[in-house]
Amino acid sequence: MSPGRRRFIAGAVAAAAAAPMRLRAAGTLRFALTPVFLDNDAAVIGRLRDALAEGTGMQIELVQRRTYEEITGALLEGSVDAAWLCGYPFLQHSHELELLGVPVWRGQPLYRSYLIVGRDDPAAGLADLRGSSHAFSDPNSNSGYLVTASDLIRMGEAPETFFSRTFFTYGHRNVVRAVAGGLARSGSVDGYVWEALAAVEPALTEATRIIARSEWLGFPPFAARAGGGEATAAIGRALRGFSGTESGRAALSLLFLDDVIAGSVALFDGIALRMADLARGP
Amino acid sequence: MRAGGFRSLPVTVRVPLVAAALMIVLGVVASQQVLAALGRLQDARLRETARLHVEGLSVALGPAVLRKDVWEVYDTLDRAKAAYDGQRLLLTVVADEDGRVLAASDPRRAPVDSDVADFTQGAIAPEDVRMTGDPVLRVAAPLVYQSRAVGTVATELDVRDLLSERRAATWLLLAGNAAATVLLVFAGWLAVSRLLRPIGLLEEAMDAAGGVPRPIPPDRVPKGDPHFARLIETYNAMTGAVEARAEAERRLAERERFVSLGRLSSSLAHEINNPLGGLLNAADTIRTYADRPEVVRTSAALMLRGLSHMRDVARAILEENRLDRAGQPLRPEDFEDLRLLFEPEATRRAQTLDWSVKAGPRALGEFPAAPVRQVALNLLLNAGAAAGERGRVGLSLTEDAGALTLEVSDSGPGLAPADLDRLMESGPLPAGGGVGLRLVHDIVAGLRGQIRHERAGGDTRIRVALPRPANGHA
Repeated sequence: MSPGRRRFIAGAVAAAAAAPMRLRAAGTLRFALTPVFLDNDAAVIGRLRDALAEGTGMQIELVQRRTYEEITGALLEGSVDAAWLCGYPFLQHSHELELLGVPVWRGQPLYRSYLIVGRDDPAAGLADLRGSSHAFSDPNSNSGYLVTASDLIRMGEAPETFFSRTFFTYGHRNVVRAVAGGLARSGSVDGYVWEALAAVEPALTEATRIIARSEWLGFPPFAARAGGGEATAAIGRALRGFSGTESGRAALSLLFLDDVIAGSVALFDGIALRMADLARGP
Repeated sequence: MRAGGFRSLPVTVRVPLVAAALMIVLGVVASQQVLAALGRLQDARLRETARLHVEGLSVALGPAVLRKDVWEVYDTLDRAKAAYDGQRLLLTVVADEDGRVLAASDPRRAPVDSDVADFTQGAIAPEDVRMTGDPVLRVAAPLVYQSRAVGTVATELDVRDLLSERRAATWLLLAGNAAATVLLVFAGWLAVSRLLRPIGLLEEAMDAAGGVPRPIPPDRVPKGDPHFARLIETYNAMTGAVEARAEAERRLAERERFVSLGRLSSSLAHEINNPLGGLLNAADTIRTYADRPEVVRTSAALMLRGLSHMRDVARAILEENRLDRAGQPLRPEDFEDLRLLFEPEATRRAQTLDWSVKAGPRALGEFPAAPVRQVALNLLLNAGAAAGERGRVGLSLTEDAGALTLEVSDSGPGLAPADLDRLMESGPLPAGGGVGLRLVHDIVAGLRGQIRHERAGGDTRIRVALPRPANGHA
């Protein structure tokens, strides 16, 4: 038996002993994932499911959707119990949603958006990219759309006219691929995803260069429909308890995260400012 | 090799050479066929690759192209490229229906929104793809989705591997066929040489001893091949026949001397008979006037002249018929004899005889007497017969530095074609007619001389030029 697995089992036993009140109800909890994730990594997804299952004591079904819009929709209509969202759609529907937790990355529940170009591109900032093509991640992504779009608004420009062509790749990794492959000159990407890719797929990120980083903004949070009851509360507890369980720590480690904290809506004030700028227009 | 040079080679060399040449031609044709088949195979493979690629992309990309979804198109091409591992498909460009590039497997070469015409220029349809020798082939086809052309797919196919495969096959074939051809040529040479060995035997036997065919001894007849054995049997029988014919010809030539004399016999009989009347008269006069010495003296002188003429004629006839003349050198007297023999014939026909011998004893002495006399007599007889009554016959003999020239002319109507053939050609003797002119031809050929024939001013001239023998008599 490998030390890893031994630790995992030991952790699972300890967690079960420490939480006798954990729900053992029959049924399955549905947890939705977004492309914030390294969407093609089956190991990450498996670990996350294991950690959630252990934390909630219930079977977990991970639901993957292509866009934030689909995830948000599924969350609001109740076809999923909880989801890992982006701060931008969370704020868009903050009255109907409840914050379950915020991941902690590199010591704080914050991340940044990166503006990237090809490795040999001479551009030094957003202003140098006028008239070129740009890859966004998702129209409802903070780091993959809102940050760059609101930056342009602040410059008195609109994304549709500033760039010669923009398109959505529906995945932060895809944005890096599009820029690295030369399909788009520049891209808006989640800084956390870019840094994670730099660790697991350095060849991909080495073909790109960061020319601008946004201010620190609230990390994409875990959310559920408001008034979701015990099931969603159990998921929240499980998420926030990841650092206390072996499987939770394994999942966090694979996700390059430190912890999940309760957090507060105030973490997303920076995003709210940008949303207001975007709504105001150029 | 020049045709003459080739023809001069023995048949046992020529036939194997021809067999070798045929083997080489066969090798070249076979290689050509194999290469053509390989080319067709490669073309079919390429067409299939291009067709599958375009059809696959049509299915996979149809909806994305319809939506002009740049990322979807790129993502599909990129994943397809990874699956193909970059083999064969160098670049794939997908454009919308307006011809603007939506995405390419290498966006740096074909940026989004650029004109697809840069990549469809010189491109061919997938069903027309074939190897052109170009290492990169461009293929373009409409991207059909739901029976509608929604865009264009342009692809660059890398065919360097196929080209090098073809090159390798060419070299392999070249080397293999060269080796096989060399082997076959050698085997063909051996087989044909073996087959032709009896022919070589025949050729050798025919060429032996200066063109006189010799029979092949029975112990050299190849065993186990009844056809060749029969052929050689027939050849041996033929050599016997040739020898018999040569003997017959020799006898005929021998007889010809008598024949020519025979043709003169009536004139010669007159030549002897005419003086006889005068001689008898003289004898009678002597008997009647025995007591008159001046009459006896005159008659005796008359008899002496008559008898000496008769003696000369008899001597000339005897000389013509001497069997031991072989090896005698030619002398001026031989031509006096000829004149003596021929003149009565000319006189009988009231012909004018133009006789001119301008060759000294020394020049004449280098030639053998018998054949030259025979040639001159035969030509004279022929000329006399051709000139007819009151005609003209001429003989002229001249010498110069290298040759003796005998010219016999007549005022006759000219030689008939058959006679001319007899005189000038070596072919088979035409039926009918005498052998006199052919004998002239053969004798002159034997003396390495030349015969010229011409008609000029109503005269027929036959000129025989005999080269001086290099050493001694021919």
